[in-house]
Amino acid sequence: MKMNKLERKLIRDLWSSKGLFIAVTIIIFLAVAFFGAMFMAYQNLNDSYDYSYEKLRFADFTVKVSQDALEAIDELEKIEGVETVTGRMNAEDIALTLPDTQTKKVSARVISLPSSDTARADVVNDVLVEEGNYFLNNEGLSLLVEKNFADHHELKPGQMVHLTLEEEDIGFGIAGIVASPEYIFPAESRQNFMPSSEVWGVVFVPEDIITLLKRPVNEFCFLIKDGADYDSIITEVETILDQYQVMDIVPREDQPSYTGLEMDLEQFATLAELFPLLFIIVGAMATYILLTRIVYNQRPQIGLMRATGYSRRQVMVHYLGFALFIGLVGSIAGIIVGHFLSEGITHFYASMINLPYTTMEIQWISIGGGIILGLLPCIISGIIPAFTASRILPAEAMRTPTPSAGRKLLIEKMFPFLTRLSSVWKIPLRNIFRNRRRSIYTAIGVTFGVSLILVSAIMIDSMVDLIDFQFNKIQRYDARVQFSEEQPASLVDEFAGWDGVEKAEPLLEIPVRLENGEKSYSTLLVALPSDTELRGIYSPSRERIAVSNEGIMLTEALSDTLDVDKGDTLTLWGSEQLEVVGFVKDPMGSFGYVSLELAQSMAGMDVISGMLLEVNPEYEDIIRDKAYKAGAASVELSSETKESVDKMMESGMVMLYIMLLFGATLALAIVFTTVTVNILERRREIATMRTLGESKGRIVAMITIENLLLGMVALIPGIVLGYVLAWYFFSLFQGDMFSMDLVVFPRTYVMTIGIVVLIMLISQVPGIRSINRLNLAQVTKEQAS
Amino acid sequence: MTKNDVLLKLENVSRIYKMGQINVKALDNVSLEIMKGEFIVILGPSGSGKTTLLNLIGGMDSPTSGKIMSDGIETTALDEKGLTRYRRDHIGFVFQFFNLIPSLTARENIEFAAELVKDSRNVLETLQIVGLGDRGGHFPSELSGGEQQRVAIARAIVKDPPLLLCDEPTGDLDFDTGKHILSAMRKINQEGNKTILLVTHNTAIGDMADRVVRMRSGEIVEITENTSPIDPEDLRW
Repeated sequence: MKMNKLERKLIRDLWSSKGLFIAVTIIIFLAVAFFGAMFMAYQNLNDSYDYSYEKLRFADFTVKVSQDALEAIDELEKIEGVETVTGRMNAEDIALTLPDTQTKKVSARVISLPSSDTARADVVNDVLVEEGNYFLNNEGLSLLVEKNFADHHELKPGQMVHLTLEEEDIGFGIAGIVASPEYIFPAESRQNFMPSSEVWGVVFVPEDIITLLKRPVNEFCFLIKDGADYDSIITEVETILDQYQVMDIVPREDQPSYTGLEMDLEQFATLAELFPLLFIIVGAMATYILLTRIVYNQRPQIGLMRATGYSRRQVMVHYLGFALFIGLVGSIAGIIVGHFLSEGITHFYASMINLPYTTMEIQWISIGGGIILGLLPCIISGIIPAFTASRILPAEAMRTPTPSAGRKLLIEKMFPFLTRLSSVWKIPLRNIFRNRRRSIYTAIGVTFGVSLILVSAIMIDSMVDLIDFQFNKIQRYDARVQFSEEQPASLVDEFAGWDGVEKAEPLLEIPVRLENGEKSYSTLLVALPSDTELRGIYSPSRERIAVSNEGIMLTEALSDTLDVDKGDTLTLWGSEQLEVVGFVKDPMGSFGYVSLELAQSMAGMDVISGMLLEVNPEYEDIIRDKAYKAGAASVELSSETKESVDKMMESGMVMLYIMLLFGATLALAIVFTTVTVNILERRREIATMRTLGESKGRIVAMITIENLLLGMVALIPGIVLGYVLAWYFFSLFQGDMFSMDLVVFPRTYVMTIGIVVLIMLISQVPGIRSINRLNLAQVTKEQAS
Repeated sequence: MTKNDVLLKLENVSRIYKMGQINVKALDNVSLEIMKGEFIVILGPSGSGKTTLLNLIGGMDSPTSGKIMSDGIETTALDEKGLTRYRRDHIGFVFQFFNLIPSLTARENIEFAAELVKDSRNVLETLQIVGLGDRGGHFPSELSGGEQQRVAIARAIVKDPPLLLCDEPTGDLDFDTGKHILSAMRKINQEGNKTILLVTHNTAIGDMADRVVRMRSGEIVEITENTSPIDPEDLRW
């Protein structure tokens, strides 16, 4: 196809300003690549979750009862709208001894599954065997280990583990490692959302040994038909199971793993929408600035085109072509890179969370969306300059444009000393106000760059603060011992006397249902000595407070969930009443806190369920072994938990550093564009100054002062916007399972300002170099442009 | 076509510009007739209305009042599209600052105009007419001022328009180059039978014209006929 001269001109003009076009195209590219990567990963993961849930028949809701309810299954199956129901054993806090050690135990959740492959056909909450086999018949007792747990302890099929039931150790061969739809995100409960796999895990046993384990069928998992009346099914289930004491009904939306993944997905979607949006706004602005400059500079060429006989439409299409080029190249390159990135992210994420099935498809909606996202703002931002170009009167275009009016500034009138400033200061100051629109765009660009840098930095700060608060302020203990059964309080003194134990404090955790009228929440009542030193209790404003003897203290999230204020009364276990005496800050989970004395008096017994220990680090392993021998179901070492949390946070931190890099790149691209345009537009003015004898140094100083002044002006709105964005991100993650404070360390402000100043200085380098290469004689002769 | 045929007729043409509160009369009630094949030089000091007159004739600007007939077309009655077509098919412009597209070569600059019309001249031949047959592949920045202006002339004539409007075409050139450009124009005028209107403040150039129109303060103050125009190469200033 033969290219006409306008098209050739377009391509050569693009080439001659390639630095600027590349910078603007990079902004669009980054926006579309980010959108494509995140949104396609979001779609892939969403599809993968749905596929995994469907394949493994993830329950629509689960009901837990406190007594053996096996006989109710026939009646439950007959409920209209129920597609299938599986009754199973779900036994909590069974001590599991790991292979190759006689003493290292963890607290296991033991769940029953059909004994044979054939019986699995309809089971709700099935598992996917990732390694090994389903239960082995005829080879003694076997069990399946949930993958997250197996990975953490490097458990393999063929190894032996022991479950302690009724003080009897029963050996099981590991038949297989499995992925479960209930534990993709391995949360123990909504209260213990991120348990350490070091001390907690899930195993599956064949249902034909339930009697051997002496545990009841106490849980029913339901799949309901499409369009069935959920509420009426729940009502009927409650009626049927009433005699077995319904403890909890958990709809799919409240299932901890499901909620965790949904939160993650939401994070993906929000990142996919919000970040690229900022990039696109900046990209559109940069396109507008660049195109306005081109149209301004090419006025004589536009005049010539019009004089020669090119129509307005041809001129407009020609200049729109620049914007189209930016949009097309940016979005096509962005979507291709985004597609590959999304595959990488999906694989990485899926393997990180042990997703049973991963589906990867070409996401046409994202591809189309990405291209529109990149193209449309460019076209919109290109239309105004292109239209302006087409409307320029040919005769006018040939004339030298009148210089924009220069005048004294209001601040110069207010502060007369400014008028006495040297021209190195006065010229930049006046330039800022002389071309206000350009100054505003520069400031907006810097504002967005600052906000993107800051939002990532705030997330990093808040994560660091969260870990510090959790592990240095709240978890002051070195080890936490838990028993599967309640123990006499006197055991604390025994532990306190061990070598290496510097302090031991009792702990009593009791499952509880908190009610305030219609609102209720199942959680743990955590009882601590009122003068506890090993478990920090903090007010919402982070002041250390004591556990009250007078009533219950709730986490902030619970005050919202239960809609209670200080002074209100809550009902516990359906009968006991306690006054809400205050609120506490607890990032992980939602609990009720009372003093140990109060809890023991309510229980009527001097008992504990665990202990918090301050331990000499050298004795950690010895004490853990001793605790297991003394009957502990699990011993959690804070150092190990922190290590696994740090590991888990690592990937999140990488993401945040990538975001930080994106923010800095964006700031660089926009500042480079505006600064270079600013400099290029003033070639003649600068050349004139040089011919008058101004040194290069003074001119560079003027340009630097102008840019830095604009940068400084943009810092405050940038910081505010970054803070608002971070606040919005945070609001997405706040809930009963997890809450995080928005924290900004002062050093972050200094770092952000430093990065922005550095970016501004770097981005003016190419412009300054072009000034230093100016051919003074030629430029001063040029028609003003 | 003879010089007795009227190509261009202006009747009481005025152009008033508004500059804030003030109305500036750039052209005041100008009437003029130009014959086909004439070489007209419009002389006048800066601000006399020469360029405004040229712009109005070329359809680059519209008069505040009055009527312009060009090559049988009443240009003052044309809308924007009509004016574009008029400029495309009937006018060739040559400017003081050449106004070449810097990103196109000399040849491409000429093709840039040639592509607009169906029956354009041969681009290579046009380059040869202006004496640049071997310089077509050079970009404007690689050409001298005189060469650039030759390209601009070639660009103006490649569409084969009946009327060439030249605004200070030698204003940015040295004496010798300026004369060569004027010679080239005269040649195009005589051999190609093109009507040329050349605006300048250089009175010496008037000696090569068929007629000289003198302007002052937006008015035509004098029109003189040159019975024996001299060869441009003999001009002195």
